[in-house]
Amino acid sequence: MKPRVVLVDDHALFLAGVRAELGDAVEIVGEAGSVAEAVPLIKGLDPDVVLLDVHLPDGSGDAIINAVAPERPGVRFLALSVSDAAEDVIAVIRAGARGYVTKTISGDELAAAIARVASGDAVFSPRLAGFVLDAFRAGEPLGGDAELDELTPREREVLQLIARGYMYKEIAARLHLSVKTVESHVSSVLRKLQLSTRHELTRWATQHRLV
Amino acid sequence: MPLPALARRADERVIAGVCAGIAQTLAVDVTLVRLVFTLLALAGGAGILLYLALWAYSDSRAALLVALLVVGAGVVLLHAVGLSNRSVAAIVLIAAGLALAWRRGGFRADAPLSWIGLVIAACGTVVLFEGGRPGGSLLAPGAVAGALLLIAGPWLWRLALDRDAERSARIRSEERSEVAARVHDSVLQTLALIQRHAGEPRRVASIARRQERELRGWLYGDRPLGDETASLLAALSTAAADVEELHGVRVELASAGDCPVDGSARALVLAAREAMTNAAKFAGVEEIDVYLEVAEDSVSVFVRDRGAGFKRKSVPVGRRGLTESIEGRMERVGGRATVTSAPGKGTEVELRLPRSAS
Repeated sequence: MKPRVVLVDDHALFLAGVRAELGDAVEIVGEAGSVAEAVPLIKGLDPDVVLLDVHLPDGSGDAIINAVAPERPGVRFLALSVSDAAEDVIAVIRAGARGYVTKTISGDELAAAIARVASGDAVFSPRLAGFVLDAFRAGEPLGGDAELDELTPREREVLQLIARGYMYKEIAARLHLSVKTVESHVSSVLRKLQLSTRHELTRWATQHRLV
Repeated sequence: MPLPALARRADERVIAGVCAGIAQTLAVDVTLVRLVFTLLALAGGAGILLYLALWAYSDSRAALLVALLVVGAGVVLLHAVGLSNRSVAAIVLIAAGLALAWRRGGFRADAPLSWIGLVIAACGTVVLFEGGRPGGSLLAPGAVAGALLLIAGPWLWRLALDRDAERSARIRSEERSEVAARVHDSVLQTLALIQRHAGEPRRVASIARRQERELRGWLYGDRPLGDETASLLAALSTAAADVEELHGVRVELASAGDCPVDGSARALVLAAREAMTNAAKFAGVEEIDVYLEVAEDSVSVFVRDRGAGFKRKSVPVGRRGLTESIEGRMERVGGRATVTSAPGKGTEVELRLPRSAS
């Protein structure tokens, strides 16, 4: 079954491009260009996935997530942005987005990412993977829950391959794992990214009042 | 300074509804307002005069009548408090002077009426100083300071506001012209180039990509294109931009960590650039992934494509790119290059440099 998708972006040209590129891969049920427009729309439509621009004219993408998520826990968010700035990425992921891709992503890859997010998995761009590795670098002082503050060696390996541009299938083949296992490693990293109290992460979280 | 409107409330009136109107305008309890007026009325009838003044104000706004009634109320009140005639006259003078100086929202250095008002207020102050002892001597210094503050304060305040507004306007216009210059030098030029090369998709893509990279670096500062000696990531990013531009491919650059660039790191960047160039020329793909990882003991760069791939043996001997520009270069600085490739399976070049050697 095709995932039902809501697009949230204030650039009409970009929306049209995404719509054309996604084609039949997903069912686009609604579009919005601002936070104020998006929140009631998403609550009303209850889609599988919301494809979300990080910067909107009347706020940021994480405001939408914060407003919708408590009422519609089934809706999954995939952030899409031209900005790779770490604070944007972290704010939207900490708010609960299940992935982050940049606007240069190809149509096929975007469709695959939407499907992955719709099925409850996480999607990391290479740059996000690199950033996470950086933030969870070994040897930093820890505070709080140690389990959440450290990546396992396997998770590190998976993230490093994502950063190097490998797709899940390629990672699975290389590490002799099933794709499902790779997916669960990435999901576990996402959880740590959202819940960890590591300094690097909480700094941005605090700045965006997400704590 | 616009005067607040005052509407009497006929529906809640005891006499004319003035108190209810004031209570509504100031958003306070009507009983409190009535209490104040009653107390003032006890002070020689000042409250009554004030009530009449406000009544007149709310109905007709006949300025002269209102002013007279207010002055009357003030005089009666000051008498009731126990000031001498002379002091009361002086205070009336000061108040009238200030009112004149304050006309139309504050003291103006360029309006004669403001100066006349000031002179009258000064006369009042002098009268107060000269005569009204003992009550006057108590009031005088405070009255003078208060008068000065009342006159000069709003003026200075407005002066400061004007200066602030002027400064932020100047900053805004400077920013705007900087943005305009930047947009002209980059975006507009690029759009012109794209129009001229509309028939060559690869060329257009590479021009647009370069522009995107530049603009992004400027807007978000996320790809430091600047100081190439301070940041390995910046140096690598510049190399990637060059390859993109020359060969019309997209280089996706990810990184974990960064470090300064020295001699051997420079060699690493050159080797990475060669690897990207090879991928762009021979792999037949549009996208190349590059990942920089700075660990405590080593620096690694991975250059990967999903393209044609190759067998080592089938590379013509004359091609010096791989052996010389990549492997040889890395070995000379104490590093290592590992190439993983197979026909149809893409290529990955791993460049590794121990940090103790760098």
